[in-house]
Amino acid sequence: MFKTLVLLAAATFAAAAIAVETGKPAPDFTGTDINGKTVKLGDYAGKIVVIESYNSDCPFDANHYKTGAMQGLQKDMAAKGVVWLIVDSVNKNNFSHRTPEQARKEFADQKMTATAWIDDSSGVIGHLYGMETTPHMFVIDKTGTLVYDGAIDDQPDPSHDPTKARNYVREAVDDLIAGKPVAVSQTKPYGCSVKYAD
Amino acid sequence: MRHKEILFATCLAALTLFNARAQTGLPSLGGSSLAAHHTQAKLILSADSARPGDTILAGVDLKMEPGWHTYWKNPGAAGLATKIEWQLPSGVTAGEIQWPLPEKFPPAEVTTYGYEKEVVLLVPLTLASNLPAGPIGLKANVSWLECKDICIPASQEVEAKLNIGGEIKAAADAATVQFWKNKLPSSGNNLSARVWWETPPTGDLRPLIVAWFGKEMSAQPDFFPGASDNYEVQAATENLPVDPAHYNGGNIHLRKIVKKFSGDWPIEISGLLIGGTGNFREGIEVKLPVSSQVPAGETISPESRTGVAPVSNISQPGKNMETGATPVLPLMLLYAFIGGLILNIMPCVLPVIALKILGFVREARSEPRRVRNLGLIYALGVLVSFLALAAVVIGVKAAGHHAGWGMQFGSPVFVVCLTTLVTMVALNLFGVFEFTPGGRALDAAGGLASKHGAAGAFFNGVLATTLATPCTAPFLGVALGFAFAQSAPVIALFFLFVGLGLAAPYVLLSCNPAWLKFLPKPGAWMEKFKIAMGFPMLATVMWLLHVAASDYGRGVFWLGIFLVVLAFAAWIFGEFVQRGRTRRGIAMIIVLVLLIGGYAFALEKELGWREAMPEAATGSLKESPHGIDWQRWSPDAVAAARAAGKPVLVDFTADWCLTCQVNRKLAIETSSVRARLKELNAVALIADYTRFPDAITAELNRYNHAGVPLVLVYPKNAGTPAIVLPQILTPGIMLDALNRAAQ
Repeated sequence: MFKTLVLLAAATFAAAAIAVETGKPAPDFTGTDINGKTVKLGDYAGKIVVIESYNSDCPFDANHYKTGAMQGLQKDMAAKGVVWLIVDSVNKNNFSHRTPEQARKEFADQKMTATAWIDDSSGVIGHLYGMETTPHMFVIDKTGTLVYDGAIDDQPDPSHDPTKARNYVREAVDDLIAGKPVAVSQTKPYGCSVKYAD
Repeated sequence: MRHKEILFATCLAALTLFNARAQTGLPSLGGSSLAAHHTQAKLILSADSARPGDTILAGVDLKMEPGWHTYWKNPGAAGLATKIEWQLPSGVTAGEIQWPLPEKFPPAEVTTYGYEKEVVLLVPLTLASNLPAGPIGLKANVSWLECKDICIPASQEVEAKLNIGGEIKAAADAATVQFWKNKLPSSGNNLSARVWWETPPTGDLRPLIVAWFGKEMSAQPDFFPGASDNYEVQAATENLPVDPAHYNGGNIHLRKIVKKFSGDWPIEISGLLIGGTGNFREGIEVKLPVSSQVPAGETISPESRTGVAPVSNISQPGKNMETGATPVLPLMLLYAFIGGLILNIMPCVLPVIALKILGFVREARSEPRRVRNLGLIYALGVLVSFLALAAVVIGVKAAGHHAGWGMQFGSPVFVVCLTTLVTMVALNLFGVFEFTPGGRALDAAGGLASKHGAAGAFFNGVLATTLATPCTAPFLGVALGFAFAQSAPVIALFFLFVGLGLAAPYVLLSCNPAWLKFLPKPGAWMEKFKIAMGFPMLATVMWLLHVAASDYGRGVFWLGIFLVVLAFAAWIFGEFVQRGRTRRGIAMIIVLVLLIGGYAFALEKELGWREAMPEAATGSLKESPHGIDWQRWSPDAVAAARAAGKPVLVDFTADWCLTCQVNRKLAIETSSVRARLKELNAVALIADYTRFPDAITAELNRYNHAGVPLVLVYPKNAGTPAIVLPQILTPGIMLDALNRAAQ
């Protein structure tokens, strides 16, 4: 019993230790997007990349979309030449899983702007980055270093107005474009837990 | 027709209602279309009526459908804590929510804390003393997040009526309120619990130790952290074994990892200490300062962690002390390799190696390629032996015992067998008898070292390893301590590197036949060299007898007698059986009689060789009339001496540990050190590790050592941790340490 606990704890600890660290290179990954194309983080070297952990059934995440705030942020970022990757790590057996067809429909209906929506139902990319909640945001600079890991904004609430909250992603990208060091590099992410397989 | 129209209109109305939440005209997303709550909220009170000035308990009763849960004040990695917004008449004030003991929900990657089925969050309501009599309405808006596979935020208005005036009358719900009051964590004000940082941070992660005295050894103790902004205490909990001799704050030690988002590392941690199981699970609410210093006497126990934070030694800084070297795996492997190299010249190993040289010299002339192969096979023998040792250590660790380097020497049977073997090798070198391939088992064992060919090379490797183990070379001391507490793969890797170091010189020689030209040409000198090498072997036998002496006391005389009989038998064998021409059969019988007789009489009867003597009881262990007055070590002895404000010198030693004996003779039992010990009124304790008692193994592991030597000086001030002295001592180092201890 004790041994199992220790092993479990050690494994979790190892997992935590493997999870990404701001200030270090962001680990490369390869995934398939909802249009069937292969997407590789390494392809975007030289660009600022924002990674969004997604599950629109989560009220925290849904709030950003229903108010249009997330779409607005995505458009602004695209205009600045930022690559935006949506990572959907909901496992296949979960209610909130989206097939590529459903995802394409949702993408169009919600008027999202993103470079790619990656189908991560195996949870590999989610685990690699230690994605805990939806939304959980990551910002990678042009040299491939992870400069932000955490919440999308400073109001962990499923019904606030995101346009009135302090958006850490927008701030990080603005800092990068202005050539300044990113002021806030880590916050506690909020949201529903990512629906990995059991 | 009309029915259809009504039905259609109703559906339309319902759809419109559903879509009312859409604010931007976009199609509504998943969550909002699942409108039904899976949790019902209700407000209950501990009393139906109360007097002005009283405080009653209100309870927000949340009943969740199966599979759904709501969250604790610290929801964990995800989720949202339940919120209560009160709408109270003036004169009534609500206190903080009292949260009953929560559960911990999987998965491990995103662990949360909360409640399922039902929970009643308790809130004390204080009634002002000037509150007018009469009924009042207590209202609250409760909002929560309920999750199963998906999450739904929900809220509900709840209310209850309270009558002011007259006596407190318990409500029908009073029993429910009491039930949930019993599930509140108790206050930890009277508990002596301690929290400290185990090591400095690695990046944004840092391990924390939470220690307290649990009522009984809890099956699954845990620590649920309170909510925090700029850091997160992660959910994984490691329950560390605690040595009863070193509680240091508790019989329960938990390791938790803290991840820092911004700002400084917290200096205070709040949360619940969790103990007990099932229905008797209980929590104690604590808010504790985090000390950056490990508590007095406690050392960092490098349990099964893999490479996140380096282990740091808490020895006092000082120019001659072991500076707080932080062993890191690659560095330790380098030490292992160098240690292996050094083992080549240790007195236990050198004679065997010398024999190897002879072997090389004999073969080098004929077949360089063969020599290379033999060298590699020798290395293989060494590596295989070391891996076998690693397997034994891992096995012993897994069986729950502490492992010590050189532990096989604790077995008296092993010591006797090895002594016999080495004697045979010495006799063979002296030319008393020769080894022949068709020899008997005893000959085979004795002559292994002088065998030629692949098997010989292999056994050479095995023998070198066997002899090397108790010689804990200086380099190896700390590194071994590090390795022994690591995981199985690290232990195996470590042993492998020592083996590589041991085998390296010979592999090098064998792969570069050209270098063999630096070796002298064969000649008569070889025979003389061979005989000369017999003497270091004899010295090894003497040393082994010394080790055996601790097992057999004065009975070691009989072991000596057996060896003499053995030598005589060997001569008869060599002279009359091997070199003789007549009456070989009779000679053989005599040899057998001698061996069996010697064994039966000397070893079995007189010595009872399979059983060592019991260890001597207490008493002074002075070496000489003016020597240091050593007492037997025990944790109590240390504690008692420290409580009396005396500095304590502890010498961890073993009879088979040469370095220990050298240290004792040259550094410790010197007049200056003796005098200083007397001046300081210090207590000197010997921890005799010759037979590997578990208590001492545990103590050694605490200080990152897998074996002896280890010398500690505990300062006068009981709060200061022990000074760990280096492996090789001089009187200067001893005096320096004692001076520090006296401060």
